[in-house]
Parts: sequence; C-alpha cells; structure tokens
Amino acid sequence: MASAEDISQMFHSEYLKLQNLINTANSKTDMNIHEIVETYYQIMNVSSMATMLKQQTKSNELLDRIRETEKLISEQFDSVIHPKIMTNLSASIQEMTRALQSGNSTEKSKEKIESDAKLFEELRQKMSTKEFVDQYETGISHD
Amino acid sequence: MRLGFLMIEDLAKNLVELKNEFAKSYDGKSQIQEVIPKSTSSLFPIAEPHLESLHRFATKNPIYYNYFEKKIGSVDCVVYEGDINRYWLNSIQHGSSKAPFSPTWIMSGYVVTLFAKHLGFSEVIDIGSGDGRIAFCAKILDMESFSIEIDDVLVDLQKLLSKTIDFHPHCSDAATFDYNSLNLKHPIFFIGGLAQMGGNTLAEDVLQKINSISHLKANSGWVFAGTFSQKYAPDPKNEAGWGSLIEEHNLKSIQTISLPTAWTFHETESTPYIFSQSI
Repeated sequence: MASAEDISQMFHSEYLKLQNLINTANSKTDMNIHEIVETYYQIMNVSSMATMLKQQTKSNELLDRIRETEKLISEQFDSVIHPKIMTNLSASIQEMTRALQSGNSTEKSKEKIESDAKLFEELRQKMSTKEFVDQYETGISHD
Repeated sequence: MRLGFLMIEDLAKNLVELKNEFAKSYDGKSQIQEVIPKSTSSLFPIAEPHLESLHRFATKNPIYYNYFEKKIGSVDCVVYEGDINRYWLNSIQHGSSKAPFSPTWIMSGYVVTLFAKHLGFSEVIDIGSGDGRIAFCAKILDMESFSIEIDDVLVDLQKLLSKTIDFHPHCSDAATFDYNSLNLKHPIFFIGGLAQMGGNTLAEDVLQKINSISHLKANSGWVFAGTFSQKYAPDPKNEAGWGSLIEEHNLKSIQTISLPTAWTFHETESTPYIFSQSI
C-alpha cells in the first residue's frame, strides 16, 4: 500500500505534467489534435485524482496542492485554454468544410481525389475531437 | 435463370472469399473499392444481362473514378475504385440524416435482393438508400422497387442512375413518408445503417408507420445490416445488434447472409444481413 507521502508525490508529479501541458497550450496559437487530446486527458486524470484524494487525505500540504491544482484548471484551462481550443476547432472545421465543398464542383484527377481524401480524413478527426471537447464543456457547465 | 437458396448461399460465400482474396492483394489508395466478376462462371452463376447491368451501374456512377480488370483467385473481375467523401460531407449536414452514406457492395446488393425474391417478396423498399444500389438490383431482378433517401444530393445521384432502369428514387424522410402511396402488396424493407449508427431509430420509425397499415403489418419482410464488431455495443438479444428490435416488434429472424460492404473492407468479418418477418 502506498504511503501518504508516495501519494502526495505522485499527485505532484501529475500536477507538473499538467502544468507543462498548460504552458505549452498557452504558448501556442494552434494546437494539433494529439496535443489537444493529451491535455484534456491529463486534466481529467488530475481532476479525478484531486476529487478522490480530497476525500481521503488529512494532509494540509496535499490539500493545499489540490486547491492550487483546481485553481490552475479553473483559471487557466477552463477559462482561457478550453474556450480557445473550442473556437479554433470550430473555425478550422468550418474553413476545411468550406474549402472541401468548394473543390467539389470541378472534375478531379485520380491523384487529386486521393490527396483530398487525406484532408477529409483530417476533417473527420477534427470533428471527433470537437465532439470530445464539447463533452468536456457539457461537464464543466453542469459543475 | 433462377437460383435456389443453396445456390444463393454459395454465391454469398464465394463473394466473401473473393473479397478476402482481393483485400489481401489490393494496394491502391482509394477510399472505397469493390469488385464485380467480369462474366458468369461456376462460382458466380449470374445471368449475363444482370452482370452487364451491375457493371453499368458502377461505370455510370460518379462515386467511382477508376476501374481496371484483375484476376482474383480464379475469377476475372473488374475492380472499381471510388470516393464518397463529398457525399459524406453533405449527409452529415442533414439534421435528420440518421447515418452517413457508406455503401454495401453492388454484388452484395444483388445477392440480398436475389434472396428477397427467393423468399417470395414482390417489392423492395430501400430505406436510407444512398445511391440506390439495392433498389436498382431489385429492379433488374424484375421486382418492383422504391428507393427512399433524405439527402437531396444522393437522390440527384439516384436520378442519374435510374435513367435506364427506374427504381423510383424518392427524396423524403422515411419516418414521415406516405407508404400507402406505393400500393404495396408483399414488400420487403431494407434498412440502411447499423443499429448502433442510427439504424435502430430509423427502423423503429418505419416499423411504426408500416404496422399502422393493416394489410402490411403481417405481410412485410425486414432486412437489417448488422455487425459483430467489438467497436459497437452488442445487443443483449444478439442478432448482430438487432435482437431487441426484432423481439419488441414480434418479428422472427428467417436467415442471415454475410456479405462484403465498403465499411468492412479492411475487416475480417463481413456484414451480416438479417432477414426477418412477422411471427
């Protein structure tokens, strides 16, 4: 069984990973799908750990760290980065959809059809990432 | 030429084997691809005029942008390469569209309608019909056929393909369509889409409409495209995702035939088509 100190250290290490991801997100105007998924995954990971540990720990140090983490998520991620990701994804999906629709009217070569198929695949990935991000939005709006 | 059930079953098995053989050797980059035997053979004892019609459907169909001949196993075939991305883009913009367009193989459409005819049904109604290939196949088998599709771009495509063989494309929401207007006697309904991909809701809506027409309630057949893929939640009553709906609507499963489809091309399992009718 892990000691209170081990748990505290594990939480701190996950917090640092999250802080890194948030710093990267803050420094970029546009994140790729992998970075988006990785960041949300870590947010959910740390949030669940925080919820669980808050009920179990009596350590003031850990409780302070949990409060600090929740503040980071609420003030930096939920209020700034998450809305920015939603806006960028929506704009990118709209732009790609428009571009792909406008290219449909012309006769295309086999090569062009097959290279456009990659853009359609990218669009599908963005749409499914947007669905995932929308679910997070639903979660925080019910909190 | 009229094929009995065992021959239809063999035809389906041979088609699945042909697809598996083709999938192993296919190195093209197309989004969708399928094959049609070039001529009649012992493995594919299909009337030549029917085969010609199937090839014509593919060559006239703008979703296919390339075709070439290829010997697959011992069968001379034509490979058709296609792309349905633009139709996908349009179909997802329809609020009431239950599932994006992804076609069955033309040859699979032929086999399922052949079996529908063998069962004695006189009309095929292809619900969520995409480019109308099932309704087209029914028509070349001299059955009456109707194709219902909500997406106007796909219906325009159907109109183009129904110029020589009219399979009656209707641009309509199948959930509100007036089925009395078709004067159906002994129809079989093909439901487009997997149960887990909106097919269940679509089937529920159409079953309710048909069950409200007294002479059709006990006289109609239903065909559902199922899946055994672990990507989808299984149905507690099985039937490849359709068991609960079949039970709730007092239907019984008559036969399941597995066939190739665009969405199972890269998978080992083919698509099970579940034929059912009222108990």
